Amino acid sequence: MEKNEKEILTLAVESSCDETSAAVLKGGRTVLSNIISTQIPVHQKFGGVVPEIASRKHIVNILPVVDEAVRQAGIRLQDIDQVAVTYGPGLVGALLVGVSAAKALAFSLDVPLIGVNHLEGHIFANFLSAPDLEPPFMALVVSGGHTALVDVRGYNHFHMMGQTRDDAAGEAFDKIARVMGLPYPGGPRIDALAARGNAMAIDFPQALTEKGNYEFSFSGLKSAVLNYINSEKMKGHALNQPDIAASFQRSVIEVLVGKAFQAVQETGRSTLVLAGGVAANSGLEQRLREAAEKRGVRFCYPDRILCTDNAAMIGCRGFYQSLAGGFSDLYLNAVPGLSLTDRNE
Amino acid sequence: MSILAIDTATQVSSVAVADENRLLAELTMQARLTHSETLMPHIQQVLRMASMPKEQLDGIAVSIGPGSFTGLRIGLAAAKAMAYALDLPIVGISTLKALACHYPVSGVRIVCMLDAQKGNAYVESYRWEAGRLVTLQPVRVMNIVEAVESCGRAAEPVVLLGDAVQKKVRGKIELPQGVTVAPPHLLMPRAACTAMLGVAELAAGHRDPVMSMEPVYIRRSEAEVLWEKRHPEAVRKERPAEEM
Repeated sequence: MEKNEKEILTLAVESSCDETSAAVLKGGRTVLSNIISTQIPVHQKFGGVVPEIASRKHIVNILPVVDEAVRQAGIRLQDIDQVAVTYGPGLVGALLVGVSAAKALAFSLDVPLIGVNHLEGHIFANFLSAPDLEPPFMALVVSGGHTALVDVRGYNHFHMMGQTRDDAAGEAFDKIARVMGLPYPGGPRIDALAARGNAMAIDFPQALTEKGNYEFSFSGLKSAVLNYINSEKMKGHALNQPDIAASFQRSVIEVLVGKAFQAVQETGRSTLVLAGGVAANSGLEQRLREAAEKRGVRFCYPDRILCTDNAAMIGCRGFYQSLAGGFSDLYLNAVPGLSLTDRNE
Repeated sequence: MSILAIDTATQVSSVAVADENRLLAELTMQARLTHSETLMPHIQQVLRMASMPKEQLDGIAVSIGPGSFTGLRIGLAAAKAMAYALDLPIVGISTLKALACHYPVSGVRIVCMLDAQKGNAYVESYRWEAGRLVTLQPVRVMNIVEAVESCGRAAEPVVLLGDAVQKKVRGKIELPQGVTVAPPHLLMPRAACTAMLGVAELAAGHRDPVMSMEPVYIRRSEAEVLWEKRHPEAVRKERPAEEM
């Protein structure tokens, strides 16, 4: 591309779960627009995201969202230089709407297509919130389906320190919220309850805490909390929901904080970033910030809106991926089980 | 008027380029490849085969359902995005009606059956009268065995078409007298028919709203049906006059 890279306009599309989103970026860091149409109210009565309903909403919302993104960016659709799209992980039917539309847009506009890993997108949301952030840094990724520590050595050079073996932290949050009878989405409700509970009230287990182990496991913790709730109910005790939430959250947070700073220390990184949907958890963010201050480590986490599923972060990742030639062809397919892996391009 | 037509309602992937008088090119495949991978490369190929630059298209016709929910959305997402980016009019064409165009002859009852899962099909029946397609029985979800049985009561010969026939009828259910299954090349949807119906609709000035178009699902999602079973009071409040 002859155009100065700072002038490149990337149109990004994201439809991996229950948000339909489109964004326009100028260069890698300037967000001209970031439109998000959320379906949370639609799925609320079902107690979780219903894949078929999510897909039905995406197919109706996709073009209005793209059109609004182009309009708010103050450009013409024909000015777009490349199209980036989330191709996984996520709900397959939901991903397919975005992928199919993005491929047709790229083909119609005669511009390159970039298939983006949603989880890498979450990490790159930090570049949008912190304009001066540059690799290398350590990234703690905590989202609905994934928990991982990634050593970001360059824009296209990632080393996996470790990731979740079984349940991700987000899954444990959702499951426990459901058992406590909290409405979907459960994560923020637990976070709010935890804020007024006693975190030391109950001792829940922490797994894989030995030094140098960067893998995560939350299924044991999840079972312990569920068992505790059941046995309290059997004994006829009223549940102290704030204490349960606070104690559960403490267990999760201590594991995440402990491993994150061990990884920072081992690699000698001076910056830690938080990424993923659970980054919106105020308890986690606060503990990481305190721990970072104590150790003299810079701590970044994305603005609230960039923690949710949004296309701006996909555009940012897509832009940097394109600098290393990471383009896709028109055969690009959705990969619902896509994971984070090492990359060196 | 030259148009691109797309049909991904079943496991067949079919794209065609046509004008009012000619089918310029068609690419139809049933090779168990996923639509999501192959649709855009097929569109690119069929336009090249027809020597039709996409900028010279005058419209897009897309098979709008009923059919596989995911298949329909892949085709529609691509069709809508192309219509939007190339600033083309778009029209949705009934998958069942396009199938009925495989038998443009009078004196035959054409029964189109598209898979609706769990032994059911979306069934619609037609007859050609003086060059016009007349709907005898509007679309409804029927048990496949019962639908085939009921064809035996028709006064005229019946021909069965559609993926439900390919998967669940041909060689599996004994056909009543006077009922036949269409041969393989006429059994499944083809974008040529979508194109011919589409070009007529577009030439007549019909357009669907590209921004808000969605597939014709007929059926609601399982989750909604289950939820309503569990919350009958809420349903009465929400949808008082509608039947289930």
